[in-house]
Amino acid sequence: MTAVKKLGLPLGILLILAWCLLPVVWIISLSLKSEESITAGNPGFLPAEGTFVGWENYEKVLTDPLYDYFPRAILNSIGISLIATLLSVIVATLAAYAIARLEFRGKRLVLSISLAIAMFPVVSLVGPLFDMWRAFGIYDTWPGLIIPYMSFTLPLAIWTLSAFFREIPWELEQAAQVDGATSWQAFRKVIVPLAAPGVFTAAILTFFFAWNDFVFGISLTSTEAARPIPASLAFFVGSDPFNRPASLLAAAAVLATIPIIVIVLIFQRKIVAGLTSGAVKG
Amino acid sequence: MTGAHVATAPTGGAVDSDRTRAENSLGRRLVLPAVVLMLLVTAFPMLRAIWLSTFDYSLTAPDERSFVGLSNYWTALTDDLFWQTTGITVFYMVFTVAVELVIGFAFAMVMHRVIFARGVVRTSILIPYGIITVVSGFAWQFAFSSTNGFVNGWLPFIGDDFNWFGESMPAIVAICVSEIWKTTPFMSLLLLAGLAQVSEDMLEAAKVDGATWWQRLFKVILPNMRAAIMVAVLFRALDAYRIFDNIFVMTNGAQDTASISFLTYRQTIEQFQLGLGSALSVLLFLSVLLVAYLIVKLFRVDLAAARQEG
Amino acid sequence: MSTALLAACGAEGKPELHWYVNPDGVDTFETYADTCSTDEYDISVEQLPSSATDQRVQLARRLAAEDSSTDLMNLDPVFVAEFANAGWLAEVPEETAEEIMGSVEGQGSYLAGAAETVIWDDTVYALPQWANTQVLWYRKSLAEAAGLDMTQPVTWQQIIDAAATEGGSVGVQANRYEGYVVWLNALIQGAGGEIVGNTEAGRDAEVELDSDAGRAAAGVVQALADSDAAQPDLSVSNEGTVLGPMWTDPGEFMVNWTFVYATYRDTVGQPGGPADEQAFEDLGWARYPATVEGEESRPPIGGIHIGVGAYSDHPDHAAEAAACVTSTQAQVDLALNNGLMPSTEEAYEEVADSGEFPEDLIDLYRTSVDTGGPRPKSAFYPLISNAVQDQWHSPASVDPDRTPQRSADFLRAVLSGEELL
Repeated sequence: MTAVKKLGLPLGILLILAWCLLPVVWIISLSLKSEESITAGNPGFLPAEGTFVGWENYEKVLTDPLYDYFPRAILNSIGISLIATLLSVIVATLAAYAIARLEFRGKRLVLSISLAIAMFPVVSLVGPLFDMWRAFGIYDTWPGLIIPYMSFTLPLAIWTLSAFFREIPWELEQAAQVDGATSWQAFRKVIVPLAAPGVFTAAILTFFFAWNDFVFGISLTSTEAARPIPASLAFFVGSDPFNRPASLLAAAAVLATIPIIVIVLIFQRKIVAGLTSGAVKG
Repeated sequence: MTGAHVATAPTGGAVDSDRTRAENSLGRRLVLPAVVLMLLVTAFPMLRAIWLSTFDYSLTAPDERSFVGLSNYWTALTDDLFWQTTGITVFYMVFTVAVELVIGFAFAMVMHRVIFARGVVRTSILIPYGIITVVSGFAWQFAFSSTNGFVNGWLPFIGDDFNWFGESMPAIVAICVSEIWKTTPFMSLLLLAGLAQVSEDMLEAAKVDGATWWQRLFKVILPNMRAAIMVAVLFRALDAYRIFDNIFVMTNGAQDTASISFLTYRQTIEQFQLGLGSALSVLLFLSVLLVAYLIVKLFRVDLAAARQEG
Repeated sequence: MSTALLAACGAEGKPELHWYVNPDGVDTFETYADTCSTDEYDISVEQLPSSATDQRVQLARRLAAEDSSTDLMNLDPVFVAEFANAGWLAEVPEETAEEIMGSVEGQGSYLAGAAETVIWDDTVYALPQWANTQVLWYRKSLAEAAGLDMTQPVTWQQIIDAAATEGGSVGVQANRYEGYVVWLNALIQGAGGEIVGNTEAGRDAEVELDSDAGRAAAGVVQALADSDAAQPDLSVSNEGTVLGPMWTDPGEFMVNWTFVYATYRDTVGQPGGPADEQAFEDLGWARYPATVEGEESRPPIGGIHIGVGAYSDHPDHAAEAAACVTSTQAQVDLALNNGLMPSTEEAYEEVADSGEFPEDLIDLYRTSVDTGGPRPKSAFYPLISNAVQDQWHSPASVDPDRTPQRSADFLRAVLSGEELL
């Protein structure tokens, strides 16, 4: 029993690591196989002998003019996701402050709306949205994606932020004012540092949502002008239009994953806190 | 937001003090942008969908638009395909959530106990969470591929040229694997937070009383994290009910793998049948509401508590 | 009108025409976007996704949004009826239109099979750029070992049996996508039938799947799916996945488009290609297999037409550019660079004279286009195609006693809007 116990934990850790990383290693391995060998069939986890091509696929995806829609998609995704995140967090901060700090009529309604939207099936909206967007002339543009991303990330952001704001000891602000600070100073020196982690977490989760979105991405765009990474990956074409270039696609997928891994590496504590805050305390 | 006035309970005739009035108006002004944005992209299109759903309307033949009342709903509700995709969607939801719950709980238990390498474990568990669903779909599609994948080679009793996407059940399994892989971390993190709420003292006491590991699990741990489990199930179930990306990428709906979201997408976006498609959109929305209602009622999830208002 | 527009654009420099292209032959399209740009306008290339269904969705969404920047577009033949019917395509200038109309009767410079597919409602809506067709590709050694006389027309049953006895396979396109309908349509037409008749009637077209021809086609699908000659990935096979098995001994019989020859020629010695020149010599070609013995096959027709968007700000420039990118020289270049065969007699002559392709292959292509069968020309083609895919996929589920009848009922219901897809 004790032996099992002692071994159980490291074994569990290994299992978790394998579970999480195996598909990631797999797609990296795939991205290192040669394009021709994929066409011919190259089963196996690691590149078969003679089919390892190093960074060639990455180079192609990033620099070959044949794939210049992909760097463009990266640009679109980064731009759209960042703008949507920034705006969404600003709007959500205002709302979350009101919800956490103020008593006002309609508060429950706001919470209900945001809860309803959090579970809204996005597919049921793309038809009418497509219709509206073409009437407004923002179909296939950045704003055409930024607006829905903002709307759909607001519930999560408001939720996370109001949970954070509720934890902030707001009396400190008054205490600082009593100590002679102006209200702006009190806000900036006392409240901002306390609220910042929450805002940050909300921003990361919002960014993840926008980065991951697929339904809006394929339905509300039709060219490179605004097509984000997930849609671009789904329409990925190589030199041979009849064979999906698996290894190039894998390279592109790895590139699309790098920002996520960087964010996770830097902010893992904050994300964990954000994901779990407010959701379970009862 | 005049709607806010109507919906809130009257204050019982008492005259608001200046302070409350000021707070009221400030609060409403602060939430206004968020509410407007959320409604712009949901309520307005939804109303439009309801209106369009009463027409026979194809984008490719806009001149032939005609009012048909509720017949689109009748068409959809009497259609085998509608019920078949709904059934498959429910299967996706129940199966993935059940598996995720078990694996996610095991992961949460491990993470709860881990002291060394905590950062490594948390970082790696966040990677599937952050990865683009489409990427996960591709990774698993290629993994299951008989010409370029490794799964057939690794699994015993399965021929190397077995085509996972050649039949309905294996294809559904492949889709579920991708879905489960990507979302289990989310589940386990929510459960981890719940696990942190279980008091160590109670566990110690149970241990002293001679409770076995299983007894402690079922009598102490699980009942004490009920709220966390229910919220995790609710979130994930609603998410799973809307499954779309993996199906689009892995099978494109072939082999009876289409979900209700996929069916709606095909009608509105691919076939441009805006009338019938809008009816499906409305039905999809209603069915999500129904699922949410059932889960909340069946498992008595206390959302107010979850929102920390209890 | 156009001078006013020009003046308007003058301030911001030359107008730019957007040309939406499909991915096969993109390098040549890029070249021609440059070549066909003039002092008055520039042409820029926008790439569409690879599957026909996705291409259609992307284009149609822009056109439905009355997008003025969709000037030129590459159209799969089956898009023409739907797009023209929706009012999304500008008519082709009169002179060219007459030429194309005449070609259908055999009195013009275009191949009749290609010209036929740009006409909707007695009006010409696009210019054929290149014409595609399928032939039967096979390993000579495999046919020989099985004792098949390839100088005579062969039937599907014959090649399935031959491949099965020799341990080879038969490559077809049977994923749930447009390519599967290409195959099914050819099988049905090869037995003298049609998927639907009277297609001008739109939703009221006559569904003819439930016929002897439909059952014959289902019989072929079933025979292949049940046979050892079926490839393991039959239900997800496409034009690309069937290329590989050709060079794994003993090889295969494969129906596929014209790009195959150039692809194999250019991959000699590479993975997935013939091992060496000698192996490449073993590649044979013959007319598309017959569904019914003694009845001539109807090879599929594909290719690309150039359409001008109805909402273009520069319709005159676009029409001029469309003529330029479908010029004889452009067609010859597409054939020589990308293996995509021309749609005019003149370009065909030039390609034949170039010596890049075996003469008998060129002849085979040409007769295939001229005697081939297009897919149904209907404004509701996407519904038809999707309904057929839905009922006939996967190949292993096809049963001559049930599938034709069930799919006919389903297609009728879908066309009349009574059933979901």
